[in-house]
Amino acid sequence: MTPTMNGTPLHARNVTLSSRLRAGAFACGLCASFAASLAWADPDDYVSTPAVEYGERELELRYGTATDPGGSRRDAGSIAFGYGATPWWFTEVYAKFQRAGGGSTHYDAVEWENKFQLTEPGEYPVDMGLLVEIEAPHDRAEGYELKLGPLFQKDFGLVQVNANAFLAHHVRSSEPGATDLSYQWQAKYRWREALEFGAQGFGEVGKWDNWDPAHEQKHIAGPALFGKVGVGGRQVINWNAGLLFKLSNAAPDRTFRAQLEVEF
Amino acid sequence: MLLAVVLLSGVANAAATEPEFALVVRDHRFVPDEIVIPAGTRVRIVVENQDTTPEEFDSHALNREKMIVGRSKATIYIGPLSSGRYEFIGEFNAATARGVVIVK
Repeated sequence: MTPTMNGTPLHARNVTLSSRLRAGAFACGLCASFAASLAWADPDDYVSTPAVEYGERELELRYGTATDPGGSRRDAGSIAFGYGATPWWFTEVYAKFQRAGGGSTHYDAVEWENKFQLTEPGEYPVDMGLLVEIEAPHDRAEGYELKLGPLFQKDFGLVQVNANAFLAHHVRSSEPGATDLSYQWQAKYRWREALEFGAQGFGEVGKWDNWDPAHEQKHIAGPALFGKVGVGGRQVINWNAGLLFKLSNAAPDRTFRAQLEVEF
Repeated sequence: MLLAVVLLSGVANAAATEPEFALVVRDHRFVPDEIVIPAGTRVRIVVENQDTTPEEFDSHALNREKMIVGRSKATIYIGPLSSGRYEFIGEFNAATARGVVIVK
């Protein structure tokens, strides 16, 4: 008798998972062959999670402000529309804005983000996904940025831990560079649906194959809050915010970041 | 990343051994509305939506959200869990689609 899972022959299910994993490995290998420099991540960056919700529609707002080591302030924000196109693919388009020092807010870039859920939550010891982003900056001299990397999540009872790593490079940039390696993580205690608390961290180590000296790397971390509120019918507001402090000399002294998602 | 691919490929080829439980969505209700599972064990819940409209299995306690299109099935993995009660709802029909996983 052919072993099955949920009515699907087991070998067919394994083919689907293996196909997703092979596609992810190929995409990562392709990215590692390119080269460019990566500026410090925008202060409104957020930690991605690997799960996709099929049919989800959301409007997202993000904001972040960072005080650089020299004392200057940098603000960033974005607005996005996202859609769970399939049970394993979520796609989102962002319009990004920035303001540096005492300058005015200006349009910075448009970004297309795609998240692929590679494993069913809880099926394996670690949940896994893949993030692929393409950014087209307003300043064409920066070149197009391609960023991709794996997403990991594991639950320890009511504690959820996420850890992600990314490779990023620029194409058609006016300046040559290298492929840079960055990471992000978060750990939260899922106390109540309306309020969860924990910590987040972000960092960049420089070139993926030749890390910068420790004093040039950028690492930040700090406390974070999370929550979800139903506002009627299927409409839900997800929010999270973090206050992050420098863990290395080259990192911003302080970064406040917040994210608001309205699902409808 | 390549190491993760190799590891998960090996796991994917292993035969499934989790206990399986059936859950039906019918007339915007979960049937049964209580599922009893053993503590410390990962289990598989196969949710069959017999309604024509979609339903979303939603549980903060279980940390799971899963859309089940009308007239289709979906698989949800939970556990290992410690003893207790873990509530879930159907987000599309939260007033009637309610249930609980009892872990013993």
